[in-house]
Amino acid sequence: QDTLTAVHAFPETLIYTQSFLEFVDKVNERGEGVVQIDVRGGPEAIGMFQQADAVRNGVVDMVYTPGSFYGGALPEKDALVASNLTAVETRENGGIELIDSIHQEKMGVKYLGWFDSGVCYNLWTRNAPELDADGNLDVTGLKLRGNAVYNAFFTDYLGAQVIDLPTTDVYSALERGVVDATGWTQIGLIDLKWNEFLNYRVEPCFFSTDLGVIVNLDAWNGLSEEARTVLQEVAIEHEAASVEALKEKRDADFAQLEEQGMQVVELEGQARADYLAAAREKTWARMKGLMEEHPMGAGNYEALIERFYDPAADAQ
Amino acid sequence: MEWYGALAVLLGSIMVLMAVGMPVALAFLAANILGAWMFMGGGAGVTQLLNNGFGSLTSFALVPIPLFLLMGEIFFFTGLGARMFNAIDKLLGRLPGRLSYVTVIGGTGFSTLSGSSMGSTALLGSLMVPEMIQRGYKKHMSIGPILGTGGLAIIIPPSALAVLLATLAQIDVGALLIAGIVPGLILAGLYIGLIWLQTRLDPAAAPAYEVTPLGAGEKVMLILRDVVPMLSVMVLTVAGMIGGIFTPSEAAAFGALGVLILAVLYGGLTMDALRKSITGALKVTLMAYLIVFGSATFSQLLAFSGASRGLIDWATGFELAPVAMLLVMFAVLLVLGMFMEQISMMLLTVPIFFPLATNLGFDPVWFGLIMLLALEISFTTPPFGLLLFVMKGVAPPETTMRDIYTAAFPFILCSLVLVALLIVFPALALWLPGR
Amino acid sequence: MRPLVRAYEAVLTSMAVVAGSMLVWLMVSIVWSVTMRNFGMQPPAWLFTSSEYALLYMTMLGAPWLVREKGHVHIELVTAALPEPAQRVVSRTVAALCVAVSLVLAWKGAELFLTNVERSDYDVRAYYTPKWILTIAFPVSFSLMAVEFARFVIGPELLHSGEAGVHE
Ligand code: NA
Ligand code: NA
Repeated sequence: QDTLTAVHAFPETLIYTQSFLEFVDKVNERGEGVVQIDVRGGPEAIGMFQQADAVRNGVVDMVYTPGSFYGGALPEKDALVASNLTAVETRENGGIELIDSIHQEKMGVKYLGWFDSGVCYNLWTRNAPELDADGNLDVTGLKLRGNAVYNAFFTDYLGAQVIDLPTTDVYSALERGVVDATGWTQIGLIDLKWNEFLNYRVEPCFFSTDLGVIVNLDAWNGLSEEARTVLQEVAIEHEAASVEALKEKRDADFAQLEEQGMQVVELEGQARADYLAAAREKTWARMKGLMEEHPMGAGNYEALIERFYDPAADAQ
Repeated sequence: MEWYGALAVLLGSIMVLMAVGMPVALAFLAANILGAWMFMGGGAGVTQLLNNGFGSLTSFALVPIPLFLLMGEIFFFTGLGARMFNAIDKLLGRLPGRLSYVTVIGGTGFSTLSGSSMGSTALLGSLMVPEMIQRGYKKHMSIGPILGTGGLAIIIPPSALAVLLATLAQIDVGALLIAGIVPGLILAGLYIGLIWLQTRLDPAAAPAYEVTPLGAGEKVMLILRDVVPMLSVMVLTVAGMIGGIFTPSEAAAFGALGVLILAVLYGGLTMDALRKSITGALKVTLMAYLIVFGSATFSQLLAFSGASRGLIDWATGFELAPVAMLLVMFAVLLVLGMFMEQISMMLLTVPIFFPLATNLGFDPVWFGLIMLLALEISFTTPPFGLLLFVMKGVAPPETTMRDIYTAAFPFILCSLVLVALLIVFPALALWLPGR
Repeated sequence: MRPLVRAYEAVLTSMAVVAGSMLVWLMVSIVWSVTMRNFGMQPPAWLFTSSEYALLYMTMLGAPWLVREKGHVHIELVTAALPEPAQRVVSRTVAALCVAVSLVLAWKGAELFLTNVERSDYDVRAYYTPKWILTIAFPVSFSLMAVEFARFVIGPELLHSGEAGVHE
């Protein structure tokens, strides 16, 4: 029987970690006598931003983390960030296979699966967001919390005044009015209690979560054929199952927020199209720039976009 | 390796190394190298240790420490601190231990809002301890109250750690914050009672010399000239935080700037004073940061090796009465807290302790408050509480670790009394948030 | 030999001076960016990033100097209880152990630095900063710390005073 050690980037109570732990349970059940995953903990065991290095160096065999936490090593993760598809479609069209081969080549890790996909980001604000004459979002005077993932979009396109803050500081920053708007995934606002201060959600949502399981390649190749099959099969099943589970969670969250008075402001027509296009294109531009600096080059750029972005999906 | 084996190796090595006099930071690093080698796969584990250190040092959360230190040192070396305390001395007349009371009240007001126990210990330590020793106070009369105020800071709102705990445990943030008010006031009362007792039992602990009575005009003059401007720097720093002009982490920079401006206005800012202030702040910062560098990874090793999880599972595995179970959890927090930093401890224990507490029928808000107290107490518990080392760094050179331990002890006892009160009368915490 | 030693001391001291300037820079950069923000301007992102990096450089550049100043706290309970000859042995052994720890970290730090160069790793914050610019601080700092601790192994001075009550 093979055993893989694992850590996860987020605290155990967070919904995304719970999803990963479900995957682990499934593997441990189906892999009895073949393969087991031994979870060593979360950010208290290995720092959030050091986990990717840990799996590369073989300190731990498996990590569940957003690709954005290792974007310095693998800018191609932005294809997932800017994606409007889920793991189900991109598994089918070969997108995940492509991102896996890039992971193997650039980082020496196996990309096992893209979990909890299909969740996108909204802009959440305290005060009613203002729209200009053309229906575009007007961010003048908005104190917007940013971070490395959002800023290409927030500052370059929206021209917003961004204040970089770690997630843990956002609650008190909202409380004291240091910031009055933030981006966040559709899910999780209630868990973070930010809904105590935020009253508006701007639609459409942009970006996608990019949480995935990566496995040290030597550890992966050292597994028995049977173990690899179990892991890959369960991962593909969990990719699909987690999309469904999180859709339900999102609907429940939205309903609860609405009940508490959360209002939805919808951008429409050209303004909506421009907003989405900017979020996507600023991110792609960043990805391309960084890919070109790497010896591997930007040869995969077109292929990535083709597989992770479907123009037809935006029109809905 | 079983969890107790890992625990024995990690805790055993650090204790032996510290006991034989290895510098604390180096002892952590040595234990880390050993632990990383054993539990993180050899050489790669040691590289990981450096990566971790990199992560924990380049974090904005550490910024308040050097800046509050700078603030305190400038206060001291430019003579502004002396002015203020001379004035307070004269104003309060002959009350024995008056500056100790001032420390509790002022320190609570300040550290409660600054959000950084290490930062505010650094500030108060570098500001108050030398001044009070110069005035004939015994060391424990200044060191004790300063270490004690950290405990108040964490439960009296606002408290960054309380927000984080509530978020992790998915309990009502507002309720946890409000629940801390009454217990916080009780703890402050216990501290004041303690100081009164200490000066009664040992009148020599604090100078009780005669002071010439002042006329009303002189008093007003003293307040306006020597107290109000100094206090206003702190008040403005706090007001800026509450008003949303800057975050608590940023506030320290404005505090330091404010003191610099005051020093210029009062003519105390010489090149020499500035150089001494920066050097003093730098020394303690470097010492504390290198310990942070070492202890952050040590925390992670305890978690990654399974040692701390094993300890928790073992300790909570007994079938005990609810109160006994609570004490077990409290004890686990105290033990872990000697070696781990607070956020790692929360990440590790919250997912286990809160479901258990709910099963035992505890109110989660009440339990959260007890847990906060345990976290803060562990920060000042001999022999390894991190604040004790910060205090050692800022106190005058002739201060020994033993001085600091003996000073901390009675104040820790006060916190324990508060915990006992909360167990017997949960309403002390739960009445105000209406639960 | 003499000028070499003096040059080395000068390097150590100037590293400490840079560390002190980093501390002052922390204050300046924060005051600057908060002021801009409150006047409705966007502070450049490098201002924030520079203060986070300053924390690392400050610690690493200043740590060897702090060894010379005997500023790393230690607990002197056991050593003080020993007779003087034994004290000296323990003190020099502890210093030697510190040398060993520093050397291991200097070696691993050099490896990390080379890996970062080879993999062209970036530290991702507001910018993508090549990571080696930061991790090069490790081998430099820990090598010099090893040298400074070595002086307490073979030099005339001891790391410990042996007087628990006085110079702990
Ligand atoms: Na507080
Ligand atoms: Na501690």
